[in-house]
Amino acid sequence: MDAANSQKFTEVIFTNMRDGIVTLDRDFRIVSANESIQRWAGRPAADLINRDSREVFHKVSQICPHCAALPAFETGEITTVTQKSGNQGTPIYAELSVYPVRNERGEVAECIVFIQDITDRMLCHDEVLRLYSEMTQTKEYLESIIEHSADGIVTSDLNGIITSWNKGAERIYGFTKKEALGQFLPFVPEFLMETEWENNRKMRNGEVLERIETFRKRKDGTIISVSLTLSPIKNAVGEIIGISGISRDISEKKNVEKELIRRNQELSRLFFISSAMRGTLDLDRVLRMVLTAVTMGDGLGFNRAILFLVDEEKNILRAAMGVGPASYEEAFHVWEKLSLEKKTLSDIMQEIAVGLTRKDSFFDRLSHSIEIPLTEDTSLTRAVKEQKAFNIDDVGKEPLSDAVLIQQLGTRAFAAVPLISRNKVIGVLWVDNYFNNRAITEEDMRFLTAFSNHVASAIENARLFERVKLAEQELENIFESISDMVYFVTEDYVVKNINQAVSKRLGKSPEEIIGKKCYEIFHGMHQPWAACPHQKTVERREAFVQEVEDSHMGGTFITSSSPIFDITGKFMGTVHVVSDITELKNLRERVIKTERMAALGEVAARVAHEIRNPLVSLGGFARRLEKKLNGSMKEYADIIAKEVGRLEDILNEILSFVKETRIQKECVAAQKLMEDVISLVRSEIDDRGIALVREFGDPIELYVDPNRVKDALLNIVKNAIQALENTGTISLRIYRKDKTCILEISDTGPGIAEEDLPFIFDPFYTTKKAGTGLGLTITHRIIEEHDGRIEVESKAGKGSIFRVVIPIKEL
Amino acid sequence: MKILVVDDDLHIQRLYKEEFEDEGYEVVVASNGQEAIEMFEKEVPDIVTLDILLPDVDGIRILRQMKEKNPKIPIIMSTAYDYRDDFAVWASEAYIVKSSDMDELKAMIKKLLSK
Repeated sequence: MDAANSQKFTEVIFTNMRDGIVTLDRDFRIVSANESIQRWAGRPAADLINRDSREVFHKVSQICPHCAALPAFETGEITTVTQKSGNQGTPIYAELSVYPVRNERGEVAECIVFIQDITDRMLCHDEVLRLYSEMTQTKEYLESIIEHSADGIVTSDLNGIITSWNKGAERIYGFTKKEALGQFLPFVPEFLMETEWENNRKMRNGEVLERIETFRKRKDGTIISVSLTLSPIKNAVGEIIGISGISRDISEKKNVEKELIRRNQELSRLFFISSAMRGTLDLDRVLRMVLTAVTMGDGLGFNRAILFLVDEEKNILRAAMGVGPASYEEAFHVWEKLSLEKKTLSDIMQEIAVGLTRKDSFFDRLSHSIEIPLTEDTSLTRAVKEQKAFNIDDVGKEPLSDAVLIQQLGTRAFAAVPLISRNKVIGVLWVDNYFNNRAITEEDMRFLTAFSNHVASAIENARLFERVKLAEQELENIFESISDMVYFVTEDYVVKNINQAVSKRLGKSPEEIIGKKCYEIFHGMHQPWAACPHQKTVERREAFVQEVEDSHMGGTFITSSSPIFDITGKFMGTVHVVSDITELKNLRERVIKTERMAALGEVAARVAHEIRNPLVSLGGFARRLEKKLNGSMKEYADIIAKEVGRLEDILNEILSFVKETRIQKECVAAQKLMEDVISLVRSEIDDRGIALVREFGDPIELYVDPNRVKDALLNIVKNAIQALENTGTISLRIYRKDKTCILEISDTGPGIAEEDLPFIFDPFYTTKKAGTGLGLTITHRIIEEHDGRIEVESKAGKGSIFRVVIPIKEL
Repeated sequence: MKILVVDDDLHIQRLYKEEFEDEGYEVVVASNGQEAIEMFEKEVPDIVTLDILLPDVDGIRILRQMKEKNPKIPIIMSTAYDYRDDFAVWASEAYIVKSSDMDELKAMIKKLLSK
């Protein structure tokens, strides 16, 4: 190439080259630059000439041609450096090639710097590096997994020679890596060698065997159960060159897991069934639940089940209930229906718990007639006697098979499990799989036995409940048939329960009485009645018995009120037993009246004495005269005797009439009684100039026979007047003390001698010359009739105080 | 046969005495309880008619005392009022309400003495 062409060629390259080209002198001043430099310098090439390179590039792209040129100026060698510019986030890489240009003296005067964008190349390189590192990590990770996996991971070639052996394999099989490598399948037991070659054949065909359960032999010769996954190993071109095996020792775990799952299922079923059964106390429902649980697919899944209960009295096992389809058709229909309706055991249990109890299935009727004497020696009776479960897989081969079950139910294989509650066999649960012929397994038996324990206690509970219900019914009957009123009242006076006698007596229905306040119902009051023993029982938590005269109910009652406590000792209220003693009271009053009549009779006796004695003398002597006289005189005497006889008869009649006087109680103020008494003796008091002092206070209402009480008081007042030989003072006081009214009569007379005091109420006892000795006796009896008493205070020379104490009856 | 008549009514006392004497009995009388006991011990009667309402001690007490002293002597309670419903007259052999017609009493005495 000639110089001109060469010059032209250089210029073309220089101008059009995509790389930036810049020429620097020794002072890094830009001598020349092509157009492409604008990318790196940020301004056109013309602007760069004679500028200092260090000021131009750095600010724009962080690319420094001068840095790259420095070693070339010093060494005169061509140098290449890579520079990175990371201004806007994405890095830009540039390769700077520096070519020194020497002058005539051989010194490096200038350097030509080519700046080439190598960003793409650099990024690609980075990616490769990243991938490599990642791959290395993954490999290490995988190796670590293999190495530390709990599973044994082993590889072998197609001939069964071990090529790799991890720690897991070491742990499972007992061979170290060193011992295992190069060996021929050291862990395959001899009896499985054939199977192993079969597996080998499958591997060669590219098959994968996943999680097959098989056996392996440990170094110490023990056989273990493993879960195995075998897969072929292929080389890069897809040729199968070996086998990898991942094995897991499941001999322990397998059992535990299996057991856990089974137990969990069993327990949740048992829990569910038993809680459902416990929720009901109706024996019939419990039995139905039991049998449903036994026969439902969701439950124990037997085809048919019968519950036999022990009848101790008759010493037999009696079928209490049976559940199961009658025929294949029905069985199929039932199963289909259940699966269509998607009813779960829980749905069915719920239905039984709340629904109507039905007992109409054919099988139930069929089984219901079955009775097995416990004296027979069969599997069922033995289940009772030996508390043992029986699983009879073929009735034909079992001598203990129950003939009745074979004949009536056509069973070919069955199981019988005793129902044991509190160490006593209360029955037997019988099951079979008549329709699908499924064999009853050991697991079925285990579950049945566990189930039967729950069943037994549920049945026992239901039976106890029935007994309690019966006892309760009996109590209720007794409660209702008691002729006395019996009722329960809470602390706050609410009537909670009553017997028939209450509603009968009150003439109201129980609904009208229960829930109401007792004082409204029984006493017609608007607030609690102070006289009611309920109040006292509530206050003192003790039983009280009291006689209550109740004008609202119209009669006299013996009311007993007893506190009731719940089992925690909390006071709940009182139970009242109320006997109507109105009749009894009347009877008693008649008795009292008789006694009172005796007192009355004493008055009559006095009268009789005063009249009859003269009559007897009169008549008696007239009779004597009559005997001794003649003529008209005799006749006169006779007339006298006869007339006296007539008078005697009249006297007898009057006396017997007096005896029949009755008590008439009414409400009267004590003050009124005393005033009436005073009026009877007023003239005598006035005549004798006796001072009368009255302290009466507010009226006190008494429920008494006013005439009788007046008689009683009159006797005392008369005694007082008589006691005052000449003159003196009589004081009358009436006052209330607690729940009694006291009528006090005191005089300033000579008083009663101490030795006389104990006898003053005795009949015929008197200190007076003209006394009958009956006055105070009568007074005493009258006051006793009114449930009252008389207190006497007296001292010779100091006068006497008589206090008549009469209870105030609140009505 | 000796009858002790106890009665505080002097007319009755005399009536009884004369009537019984007519019947052939010996009659002694007492007017109160104390006298009655004295006569009962001193005279030892074969039979007693005894009033209840006496001025000092009541006839029931006298009856008891007499029975304590000699339970064999029959006693007829002879009273103005029929106390049989009111007081026990247990210990006495008979009871009669006084009457001007004395036939019943006489028959009673005769019967008791014949035993």
